[in-house]
Amino acid sequence: MIESAKYRNRIELLQGTLDMLILQALQREPMHGYAIAQIIRNRSGEVLTVETGSLYPALHRLEKQRWVKSEWKLTESKQRAKYYQLTALGKKQLASDHQRWLQLVRAIGAVMEPEVQQ
Amino acid sequence: MRWPWDRAKEDLSEELESHLKMAISERVARGEDPAQAQAVALRELGNMPLIEDVTRERWGWMWLENLLRDTCYALRGFRRNPLFTISVLVTIALGIGATTAVFSVVDRILFRPLPYADPGRIVSLGFVHSLERQEFVMGRFYVEWQKDQTPFSVLAAQSTGVHNCDLVEDKPAQLGCISFQANFLPLFGVSPVLGRNFLPEEDRPNGPRVVMISYGLWKSHYNNDPHILGRTINVDGDFARIVGVLPKDFQFPTLEQADIVTPFALDPAVQQTVNGGFGYPERVFARLKPGVGVVEAYAQMQPLFNDDLKLFPPSAKSETHLSIRTLRDKEMQDVRLVAWVLFGFVLSVLLIACANVAGLMMARGAGRQRELAVRSAIGASHGRLIRQALTEALLLSFAGGLAGLAMAQALIMMFVHLAPTGIPFIGKANLDLRIAVFAALLSCICGVIFGLATALQKPGLAALNAKASMSRSHAFLRRSLVTAQIAFSIVLLSGAVLMLRSFSKIEAQDLGIETGGVLTMKAALPWWRYNTDQKVKNFYLRLETSLRRLPGTFAVGMASSIPPAAGGSQSFRFSDLVVEGKPPTPPGIGGNVTGRSVTPDYFRALNIPIIRGQNFAEQDRTGDEREAILSRLLATRLFPNEDPIGKRFQSDGFRGGAGTIIVGVADNVKNNGLTDQSDPEMYTLRRSVSDDWSGNRLIVVIHSVMPASTIQPWIRSEIASIDRTVPVETEPLNQTISRMADRPRFETMLLGFFALTGLVLAVVGLYGLIAFMATQRTHEIGLRMALGATRADILRLIANDGLRMVVVGLALGLGTALTVSRILKALLFQISVYDPLTYIVVPLFLSLVALVAVLIAARTGMRVDPAVTLRAE
Repeated sequence: MIESAKYRNRIELLQGTLDMLILQALQREPMHGYAIAQIIRNRSGEVLTVETGSLYPALHRLEKQRWVKSEWKLTESKQRAKYYQLTALGKKQLASDHQRWLQLVRAIGAVMEPEVQQ
Repeated sequence: MRWPWDRAKEDLSEELESHLKMAISERVARGEDPAQAQAVALRELGNMPLIEDVTRERWGWMWLENLLRDTCYALRGFRRNPLFTISVLVTIALGIGATTAVFSVVDRILFRPLPYADPGRIVSLGFVHSLERQEFVMGRFYVEWQKDQTPFSVLAAQSTGVHNCDLVEDKPAQLGCISFQANFLPLFGVSPVLGRNFLPEEDRPNGPRVVMISYGLWKSHYNNDPHILGRTINVDGDFARIVGVLPKDFQFPTLEQADIVTPFALDPAVQQTVNGGFGYPERVFARLKPGVGVVEAYAQMQPLFNDDLKLFPPSAKSETHLSIRTLRDKEMQDVRLVAWVLFGFVLSVLLIACANVAGLMMARGAGRQRELAVRSAIGASHGRLIRQALTEALLLSFAGGLAGLAMAQALIMMFVHLAPTGIPFIGKANLDLRIAVFAALLSCICGVIFGLATALQKPGLAALNAKASMSRSHAFLRRSLVTAQIAFSIVLLSGAVLMLRSFSKIEAQDLGIETGGVLTMKAALPWWRYNTDQKVKNFYLRLETSLRRLPGTFAVGMASSIPPAAGGSQSFRFSDLVVEGKPPTPPGIGGNVTGRSVTPDYFRALNIPIIRGQNFAEQDRTGDEREAILSRLLATRLFPNEDPIGKRFQSDGFRGGAGTIIVGVADNVKNNGLTDQSDPEMYTLRRSVSDDWSGNRLIVVIHSVMPASTIQPWIRSEIASIDRTVPVETEPLNQTISRMADRPRFETMLLGFFALTGLVLAVVGLYGLIAFMATQRTHEIGLRMALGATRADILRLIANDGLRMVVVGLALGLGTALTVSRILKALLFQISVYDPLTYIVVPLFLSLVALVAVLIAARTGMRVDPAVTLRAE
């Protein structure tokens, strides 16, 4: 009970950002969940670790919103895995998320370091 | 069992599984020890079932899965505890079934608008007096009222009563005919389903002959012929053109059935002259002007009425009143009270049922505290527990509701089958879904509220160890519920027993006549062929002679009416009787006298003893003297301390001449219905002169030693040999009287049924609570027994608890019953609403039943083995 609340909180905290990160990870090619987690971890220089408990709920939610679609495929090591692929809708969403994110970063930057801006 | 989402679930598991495998193989590839790699990867992954749960919630149909799981769980629970399940189901079914059925019946009487446009503004108005309690208006006054009245936007008249009429054609039929004015249908907002209403020029004396026919006649006799309009039919020898067909659901405001309607064709000039200058009586209906209520209308009509009254004979003045009633009041009359009482009974039953459901749910909840505590401890959220409780309550209500609907349908069919004639609309009663839903909701709410009451308290850890225990407030609530149930049952039972006692008095009373072996016969002579009193007399005298020849016939009498039905048209006022040599009685004093015109054999046929003087003699039928026999009551009223034989009197009907001579005194008979106070009665000799045979309403009484089934066909063939076109009705007098008691029998049966239902439910509730408390206290009982308490002590301990509830319930119930039983007063016959026997028998009976229930339940406690219960700790 308590644990489940914890998971929920984390999803909530990361929600918008995590969605964007996942969509971004999928931009080039379809990928399975494990690879998505690895990519985010590697690209962020090991700063952002996506918990499995956040990743899969997020993936399933994105799929429900039709931003990604999934199919079972074999990996290079001949293992069955579920691959997620960006849909057209997902691409649009990613673009707008990215846009908003940039705005936010700029805005926060301006607030935090006003002298740099001037 | 595989649910549709099981595949998706496996899919998810596989996905997570593959994630785990990849994580492990990557660690192994980096050179970690496989066993350690697996442990670390598993730890990194976290609580897999929980992740699955949270992920699945994203799918958005978890609720459905939960619902089904809860349902399965609840069903398993019900199967494990069939006694509980069945009690709840039966309770809900009874509550919903009874309420729905009764409401469906009373709805049309009490609540549903009458089938007219804006029916609340239509009134019936006219004069009423002690001999005619339905409003009527004499034609002469109606003409004046139409001119001078202010409170109504329109008035319309209908003829009084349906009369027999003959359809003369290849397929002859005897029908009911009535007439109304051209503005009658518009007043009620009704238009013909086919054709048109009467035109004003048709609703005039000597206007074109037209008729409207009923939907029933159109359908049965004319096969819904669409070209019926314009057809000419022969009614009673007159040709008339059909101009319209009344709608299917049209009902006359007098609730009469008629097949053919003719224009009323009121002739103001004629109304001034006929019937002693008063005109013919008619039924008048009116629509109130906007903003005018019944009270205002009454006040505005009062001056007109007072003017009319001046023309009345003095004897009638004081007894005649103006009456204006809404249509519903007129149509429903005394049925309303019964309907309300019935409705009250059924609501009480519903309340008892709800209390039962509540009690049962609470007991179950309390009994399950331990289970709930366990489920909570292994991770079930509070919400899940509540959802589970809700699912159970809703499932029970739903199943109970379905059973209830089936029961309601069965009850309605039973009501319609058993209902006596004269309860308006009962034939039209059908299952009312609105009320079924209402009743289902109510029981559902009971279940939910009390089911939740226990689930809402999050069971503490203590409940895990402790034996299930009922919290103090719940115990009090349940006790109050059971006490209230007992109180309600007392009220219901008292009402039912009062009705039963009253009914048995009705059945057991001495009617003053012999009914066994007596057959009554009515012949409906078509008036247009038997258009003189002479023809009527000849028909009946021939009939009398031929009936007397039938084997086994003991007596054949003829009379204008037969007791114990109320006399009706032949009644007159006591003050109309003027005894020679005595001052007349002032008008308005003495009430009514039933008059009957009979042949001498009438007294032999009904075995009414002549206690003084003698019966009419056969030869007097051809004599000149008018003779009368008085009932004992009338004789003592007219001639206290005197011998009435040989005295003469004048009555309003036959003033002048030698008057009427009294030849005998007959014993009293019940003559004003089964339940009303009997009136004094006067029999006049029906002589074989044409004058004595006017009126055309005659009942033949045949007293025979032969069974009715044998003699009935004989009578028919005798009549057919005189005139084969005359329709005949015969009925054993026993049956007629039994039919008169149908209403009270029906009412008594219904109320009795609901009182018993309530009692059963209350006793089930009591039993359930005591048994439950006994189980709850096994530990305590074991301890007491170990310390030396005997089984009798234990029995007393448990029973005391139950009996306290019974006693409090009895006291409350008796108090309430004594207060509310006054409502029944109008329904009771020769029984006081404070009938002591009832108020002794009912509590005794209920105590006895309750005592048995308590003792049976307490036995559970008595059987406790201290060695077992104490070790169970």
